Amino acid sequence: MLAYVVRRLLLMIPTLLGITLLVFMLLALAPGGIGAGLTASSGQVDGSKLALQQAYLEDRYGLKDPVLVQYGRWLARIAPIKFGTPDQITLAGEHKSKPRAIDAPPLPEWFPLSDAAIAARDAATLKRGVVAAINETEREDAQRAYRRLETDYVSSRAAYRALTKKLGDELIEYAIAQQISGVRTSHGDCRFDVIATTPAKRDASNWAAIEALATQIDAAYIRALKSYQLIDVAFAAKPFREAGVAIVPAVISIGSPDLGVAFSKGRPSSVLIASALPVTILLNVIAFPIIYLIAVPSGVLAAARRGKWFDILSGGLFVALWSIPVVWSGVLAVGYLASNQYVGAFPVAGLHDSLADSWTFLPSFRDDGAFERGYLLDLFWHICLPVACLVYTGFAILAKQTRAAMLDNYSADYVRTARAKGVDRGTVAVHHVFRNSLLPVITVFVTVFPATLAGSIVIERIFSVPGMGSLLLEAITNRDRELVLANTFMVACVNLLALLLADILYAAADPRVSYE
Amino acid sequence: MDNRFGLKDLVLFVLVVAIGVTLVASMFQKDRMWQQLRRIEAKVDETRTRVEAIASDAKRAANQPRVASPALSEGSSAGATGAAPDRATEWARPDVPIAWQPPLAFSTDPTSQPEFRAGGEFTEIWEGKCARVTPYLSTDVYGRRVLDLVCDQLAVFDPKTLALKGVLAEAWQYAPDGTWLRVRLRKDATFSDGKPVTADDVVFTFKDYILNELIEAESVRSTLDMIGDVKVIDDRTVEFQFSKVLFSNLAVTLNNYILPKHFYSKFEPSQINQSTSLLMGAGEFRLAALDPSRQWNPGDDLVLVRNEQYWAPGVHSPIASMRFKTIPDERARLVAYRNGDGDMITPTAPQFVVAQQEPNWDKENRSLKWFNMRSGYSFIAWQCGKRKGERLTPFHDKRVRQAMTMLLNREQMINEIWSGVGSVAKSPFSPESPASDAAKKPWPYDLAKARALLAEAGWKDRDGDGVLESEQGDPFEFEFTLAQGGDIVDRIANFVKNSCLKAGIRCKIRIIDWAVYTDMYKARDFDALTMAWQSSAPESDIRQMFHSDAIKGGGQNFMQWSNKDADELMERGCKTLDTAQRMQIWKDLAAVLHEEQPYSFIRVVPWIRFVKSDVGNVQTYKTGLEPWEFFRPAALAPTG
Repeated sequence: MLAYVVRRLLLMIPTLLGITLLVFMLLALAPGGIGAGLTASSGQVDGSKLALQQAYLEDRYGLKDPVLVQYGRWLARIAPIKFGTPDQITLAGEHKSKPRAIDAPPLPEWFPLSDAAIAARDAATLKRGVVAAINETEREDAQRAYRRLETDYVSSRAAYRALTKKLGDELIEYAIAQQISGVRTSHGDCRFDVIATTPAKRDASNWAAIEALATQIDAAYIRALKSYQLIDVAFAAKPFREAGVAIVPAVISIGSPDLGVAFSKGRPSSVLIASALPVTILLNVIAFPIIYLIAVPSGVLAAARRGKWFDILSGGLFVALWSIPVVWSGVLAVGYLASNQYVGAFPVAGLHDSLADSWTFLPSFRDDGAFERGYLLDLFWHICLPVACLVYTGFAILAKQTRAAMLDNYSADYVRTARAKGVDRGTVAVHHVFRNSLLPVITVFVTVFPATLAGSIVIERIFSVPGMGSLLLEAITNRDRELVLANTFMVACVNLLALLLADILYAAADPRVSYE
Repeated sequence: MDNRFGLKDLVLFVLVVAIGVTLVASMFQKDRMWQQLRRIEAKVDETRTRVEAIASDAKRAANQPRVASPALSEGSSAGATGAAPDRATEWARPDVPIAWQPPLAFSTDPTSQPEFRAGGEFTEIWEGKCARVTPYLSTDVYGRRVLDLVCDQLAVFDPKTLALKGVLAEAWQYAPDGTWLRVRLRKDATFSDGKPVTADDVVFTFKDYILNELIEAESVRSTLDMIGDVKVIDDRTVEFQFSKVLFSNLAVTLNNYILPKHFYSKFEPSQINQSTSLLMGAGEFRLAALDPSRQWNPGDDLVLVRNEQYWAPGVHSPIASMRFKTIPDERARLVAYRNGDGDMITPTAPQFVVAQQEPNWDKENRSLKWFNMRSGYSFIAWQCGKRKGERLTPFHDKRVRQAMTMLLNREQMINEIWSGVGSVAKSPFSPESPASDAAKKPWPYDLAKARALLAEAGWKDRDGDGVLESEQGDPFEFEFTLAQGGDIVDRIANFVKNSCLKAGIRCKIRIIDWAVYTDMYKARDFDALTMAWQSSAPESDIRQMFHSDAIKGGGQNFMQWSNKDADELMERGCKTLDTAQRMQIWKDLAAVLHEEQPYSFIRVVPWIRFVKSDVGNVQTYKTGLEPWEFFRPAALAPTG
């Protein structure tokens, strides 16, 4: 059994890799690619802000790199085993990775680096390892120095990047005038490699501008290199605590998986999931027992009275309910049951009343004798409609499954034997048939429950419930790679574990199943 | 099989029952503590109200000689020193006029209205989820609504006149050549924790917060790239140096929220970047509890309470607290508003029209519709240059563009698509803006004239198939690109398609996802597209849409329209600091755009709101709404 579990656990790794790769590629292939939603999220755009913002985000999240590189980077973050220089964690809990090197300026064929720039570049690579030892008392200062250098590094990098972008724009102009085709990427940026293959036409109308920019870029490159060199040294001095446990220092270490920062919200994905998950779990923890308490007994009764009016009626009713789409019934519920114009018996949206925070937990009478619902009752009242919508479609499948399993067992030999030896009908139904029919019902639960953790997107949207479904929907509309991946990764993990659990339970419940 | 109920079971049963009982009992115990706490809180509130009343009495008594009636104070200022407002000018640069600002006042005084009462809560229901309310990191409209209440700016646009009006600034000096700006802060201005607003805070806000690359305030940072330096002159005076001279420098600089240095400097950039509600300012409202470790969770209600220590005397908001809820589903939102869960919503255009037809609607609700400086406009842009740099579209000819505008019945479009909410746009300037020329009318709907113009440009039906052809025999066919957006987008597409058909033009519809829209127009890969611009100030810098410099580098001049006159006007306008002169330039520019029609201007988007009738002093201004001036006549038990 142990060997089986270990084998299954190991098999999960390629499965997870496959799932995440698939999701990553789907996001990358979707129109606009990864992070496309960052720049435009509504129908109206304030034009002044777009271009620079986009360049900033691209650099920050590495959106311009090839998709597989981005995937690799994501995997490195999510994997518990880390290679290379470990991150450092500030007192505030922020991960600081090794500063990224500065790329060389584009078009070296046309504008070779100045001597000063070459000297600066060589210095930046040679400087590594020349690190002064820093003792504990100086650590505080090292942190402050790191912050100062970091600000400097980031701003010089930004200036360098902005100039490069400008040069790209000028070159596109130039290419159009010179009738060089294919210089634009699908994002409308310049492809320097295409331009580099053509000879420089120094008599082009905007050549002066291009040349001036190239000179500026050279200067900006030197400045960026210098600040990179400083920050690199400061980082190597380890101003902060290193993350994880080192196995081979600076080569392999073990650390906790990092789900990344959701870029549409600027907050860690794990925090967002942690705030949405309890809501979804709450809804499902209430909905599932209701489904079971109604569907299983109805299935049992329907099997016992096969072909009688109860069987037909319950079967018909459940299938009818199952076939009502939630999109429609949810809207009707809000429009009629929640609206004061009609029934008005339920709240429209959210999980709590505006005043609920100031209420007691349990229902109570206030000092002036007025009844107060209390926090708990208020919560239940608010989730009535969403839970009802979650529940009503679930009866059919479970009831039918129970009924089928019961009928299977009714026709089994041991039932006939039991009846023949004089056991009464009720005992046979409850003790023999029902017990044996429970197996599939249990496994349905184990496999279905994790899937519901993804949340019900429709229900959560209609009833304004801030659960996993809403989170996933937002993540997808914003093309928020980190959040979508964190979501799918988590759901995939839980699902795989649940499947394993189901198999183990099978073996435990049914002696005929064995994995040896 | 048959298990008897044994001793072991009994023990277990008792144990479970005992745990259950203890649990319930502990809940009751907790609730008793809660109730006790509530009683104590009520007492504290009562005491605080009393203390505040006494304090304000004392303040009033102390201020008495200063806030006498205007006539009296004028008379006395001649004799007594110190009675007149402090107009010392030692902070200013010599020989440059000083723009003194009047004391802060309500735009429409709620206290003078008949049913005025202080206190109560005002609830607005938002349609989209606000991601965060940390200043400058929040990029959505909801964040702005909250920040306007919590953080005061140096100056704002006057709701009635749209002129700049000093809030934290008592006066400023703007260099005649536009290279610097010196701002004097008000003496009594304080943040919501009582600490004074100083020049240090202003410098911190700009240099260490907005312009700090480590903070993800990129969207604001990119609009402030003209600021060269910010310097402290003295405790209450700062000077901005501009690296570029632009007409918008003054407004863009003064219109920023000033943040308390002593609060924000406690946090690291990464903490600020990941925060949802690190929010403190000098405004009328503040967060009820400002606890950095337990911030607001987007999706929950956001509650602001009145800043009882607001610095400006006599302009306290009557509303005691503001609550913002989010209901993304439009039907649920309207139902919630009707049920009384909210006092204000932004309905959809069809909702706005349909709901008003109900009996008794007007008794309980106000239906507001007005244009203001934030009203955007929607348009169809015609590809004036080569699509993807390769193929010229029919729209390179201005006669064709004019014809396209004239064959679209925009009046009917607004009626059919947006239920009549909106009006026909004619220029890039909001109709409320002084830059808009009231005498100018949009092109009329005139199919005959459109046909004539097309014929003049060489587009005629040469083979009698009902479709226009060029002299070379190419049929007039173009692709119309829209962003995915449901029902309304389909209706726009159909309307344009049918209108074109009537004139013998074939229009192919291409609907693409918003996510690729920017890439599409940056690559200039379209014949015609529709979009909407929104604005945030009375006049915005429109060079980025219409100047020929914005054609290159994926700029916003995606229709690749280039016109020497317009370029010259825009360049001149942006450097003209004199408002009247500049307005004339904008009007001239609008005339050029009208003639050239790089856009067919479709619809000015008005603001629409439903507000409950039991909210007082709801005024529609040129700046939008000023919720801090609202009051609740029906509110019980005023608390302040």
